[in-house]
Amino acid sequence: MYQLVVNGLTMGCIYALIAFGFILIYNAVGAVNFAQGDLVMVGSYFGVLAVGLFGLDPFGAMVVVIAGSAAAGYVFQRLAYYPLRDGPTINVVISCLGAGIFLRNAAQNVAGPEPYTMKPFFGAELVELSGLAIPSQSIFVVVLTVILFAVQYWFFFRTSLGRMLRATANDKYAARLAGIPVRRMIALAFVISSVMAGMAGFVLVPIFLASPNMGFGLVVKAWIGVVIGGFGSVPGAIVGGILVGLLETFTASLISSDYKDVITMLVLLAVLFLRPQGIFSEPVQEKV
Amino acid sequence: MARTWRITLAAAGLILVLSLPALVESSYQLRLANVIGIYLLLVLGLNFILGYAGQLSFAQVGFFGIGSYAAAILTTDHGLSFWIGLLAAAAVSGLSALLIGIPTLKLRGHYFAFGTFAFGEVVRLLAVNWDTLTHGASGLSGIPAPAIGGFRFDTDASFYYLVVFFALLGIAVSARVERSKIGRAMFAIRESELAAEAMGIRTRQSKQTAFTLSAVFAGIAGALYAPLNTVISPDVFSFDVSVVVLVSLLLGGSGIITGAVLGTVLIVLLPEWLRFLDQYYMMIYGAGVVLLMVFMPQGLMGLMENLRVRRARAHAARAEAAPAGVGERTDRVAP
Repeated sequence: MYQLVVNGLTMGCIYALIAFGFILIYNAVGAVNFAQGDLVMVGSYFGVLAVGLFGLDPFGAMVVVIAGSAAAGYVFQRLAYYPLRDGPTINVVISCLGAGIFLRNAAQNVAGPEPYTMKPFFGAELVELSGLAIPSQSIFVVVLTVILFAVQYWFFFRTSLGRMLRATANDKYAARLAGIPVRRMIALAFVISSVMAGMAGFVLVPIFLASPNMGFGLVVKAWIGVVIGGFGSVPGAIVGGILVGLLETFTASLISSDYKDVITMLVLLAVLFLRPQGIFSEPVQEKV
Repeated sequence: MARTWRITLAAAGLILVLSLPALVESSYQLRLANVIGIYLLLVLGLNFILGYAGQLSFAQVGFFGIGSYAAAILTTDHGLSFWIGLLAAAAVSGLSALLIGIPTLKLRGHYFAFGTFAFGEVVRLLAVNWDTLTHGASGLSGIPAPAIGGFRFDTDASFYYLVVFFALLGIAVSARVERSKIGRAMFAIRESELAAEAMGIRTRQSKQTAFTLSAVFAGIAGALYAPLNTVISPDVFSFDVSVVVLVSLLLGGSGIITGAVLGTVLIVLLPEWLRFLDQYYMMIYGAGVVLLMVFMPQGLMGLMENLRVRRARAHAARAEAAPAGVGERTDRVAP
């Protein structure tokens, strides 16, 4: 049973990282980034490149992943969002969809369709933790997620740059009046979002394999987490992501692994039906 | 002048469409024409909910799948005729639109897009897993050709006329809705849902009507696809289909019937024309979608309309001295 909790929590942390990046962009520009999963894939490939080709250790590789993902996020927003910033958000959504198709197929053309894998970062041994044997990779994923979220919390609530980002997400017009460089803040939101997605992709490789189309399934789970947690709510995205990881692992082992994804989707539809505002959000309102 | 022009153009187009089987060299090209007709129904369906009512839907593939499976199961496992399968496909798709629409259309914003997306995935996953009904991952095969009396639509050429019939019917229904009170209510919702509601439009009913129409169109497309391909399996009904349908509509011009036709023809034929790009096609297709949104967000028809308006404006500026009332048509602005 505890094995299920560990596996569920590991996947849940990864979904939470993706969901966090996703909600950051949503709050900044009001658009659903359909390429979030492909940014995860980009992070995975940077990791594979750093470890497999450059022979770096996991921490060196992490630097490569962060730098690569940050650059990818910046270029992504410059080409797929920035030219559309004054148009309707639906155009941004579709542009992101297109950018995702591009990234997926670019990866396939550059690195080939076959999946890559990596050894667990700290060996394959199980770690004894108060009588329970836990894979080291799982511990690493959970600890890293906690650290990343702690850093984000510090950044958003304790630094002036973070406050400026929050102000931008809250009300772009008022933020601009207050002298905040809104365009740069939005670019920064994309960069942070891409780095979080890239880190999720990197730590995922030993568990999940890296392949050009890996992002789709992941981002779907992250979305479901976002909806369950409450659209627009950051704590909601984190909790929702973890819940989806647990839900999926438990249904796979207790009910049926064939119906794992069906049940997750049905939970999404059920949440939309019964409590569309999710766990953490206020009832849905529209800005006029 | 414009009216005569349009009628002439439509008549010429119709003659071309009807004589196509005599003009093409191979049955492969007719097969492509059949695919265009079926996709056109999907795109026209999306045009109701996205083009007219302004709601982003990813459900087309779900309804397409339901329609295909309903028709295929009834005609193979139960030996019923194609026409019963077709009616069942339209009915089942329409009913699922009600089921999905009730919870998601209440809400604005991205909830509807998410709900429709989840629906499409549920349909695909059920097709994989519900073995007793759908025959699982291997799908259904030997789907019989439609027949009227003794005549069987079992060649690409005869099937072509069946597809053309439904495509023209789809265009006629779209044109009728566009000019009706129901259509105008949808346009109002697209421009501003809040304002439409304040004007006394029943926004939920209007959105539901648009969504149900989109489902029925996709269901019929599915019922036609099954016998055309004779084999169906779950992997056909992936999210990519919804994206292709969406891109077709946006390329042509959202909310414009001619745009839907133009976009569908281009999106089906582009991979044929760009064969030389080989494995790079999908990459360029993705980049093309971004460029489309950046440079031509209103699609080809929207672009033409903009040029027309600009020309009219220049014309009006030149004729400024004369008291000519050059009115611009602004009733159709794509979202």
